[in-house]
Amino acid sequence: MAVELEARVARIVEHGPDTRSLFLHGQRLAYRPGQFISCLLPVGGEMLIRPYSLASDPEDEELEICLDLVPDGPGSRYLYGVRPGAALRFTGPWGTFVLDRAHDAETVFIADGTGIAPIRPMIRRALATEPRHPVRLLYGTASEDRLLYRAELEGLAAGRSPFRFEHVPSAALRDQVARRWIEDDTGRSRHFFICGVGQIVPTLRDLLRGAGYERRAVQYEKW
Amino acid sequence: MAKIRVRYESGEPERVIEFDPREAPFQHDGRPASILDVLVGHGIPLEHACGGNCACTTCHVIVKQGFEKLAPADECEDDLLDKAPGLTPTSRLGCQAVIEDPDAEVVVVIPRYTINQQT
Repeated sequence: MAVELEARVARIVEHGPDTRSLFLHGQRLAYRPGQFISCLLPVGGEMLIRPYSLASDPEDEELEICLDLVPDGPGSRYLYGVRPGAALRFTGPWGTFVLDRAHDAETVFIADGTGIAPIRPMIRRALATEPRHPVRLLYGTASEDRLLYRAELEGLAAGRSPFRFEHVPSAALRDQVARRWIEDDTGRSRHFFICGVGQIVPTLRDLLRGAGYERRAVQYEKW
Repeated sequence: MAKIRVRYESGEPERVIEFDPREAPFQHDGRPASILDVLVGHGIPLEHACGGNCACTTCHVIVKQGFEKLAPADECEDDLLDKAPGLTPTSRLGCQAVIEDPDAEVVVVIPRYTINQQT
């Protein structure tokens, strides 16, 4: 079985009333942008396995995981109960939803809610590897105040950057994707990276593949 | 009773589980009556880093017998298997491969390298 690692919760940053980031210190990890760690959470006398995408860059000192409080989710409730200094055990890194360098075509990231977590280091990596094609983010959230990393994303998009991002309501994601990259544009050479919670992810996957994008050009991770 | 025979590429001794799929789930990870559910629920470890949610390939198994007894893979599983190390024509993700037939006999091999730590 996988090697168990341990880190300490260095600090907690609240993004809003029910979304927070935990910064983990004391365990350097060689991982690829987009990968996750698998947290081992002692809840109710047993060990729950809960995956959390790494929102940090592989070059960062600390590991960052970003999570929503799910009222009936024992894993998220446990992590909402930890305080700075607490130890957290995990395995990893895991996952094949990754981006190591800019693609040789336009890259479109689509995030819904905390699905921005694995996409954030992917965008940074794409921009750090001198993209010759546009890098775009379509970011859906339930409301304007749930947009995470806004200042950072605006900074990345400033000036002559090849990066552009737009925020839309989550409920509009499907129609926005259909209009921008299917109805208004006949090109089918883009690469897509989609992440979010629930049915929206396979819905977008099927929409894009059904419209003629190659299977391997539509990567996704569904939580 | 359905039966899963578990073999290991690493050479560990074979394990055999007899179970009634109608009694699933046997624990809380993976689809009920999936290979992962049956194994873990009967005390046989199988890596499942994503918690059995079809989001990684760590529960990859190779089905040597009874492949047709398993519920078919969906697109998400096929996409992930595409990236699994050591993929074979009868590879499945343990968390998704459900055994519904109460008389099924399935033989699976646990690959030596089930992890996908591609760093």
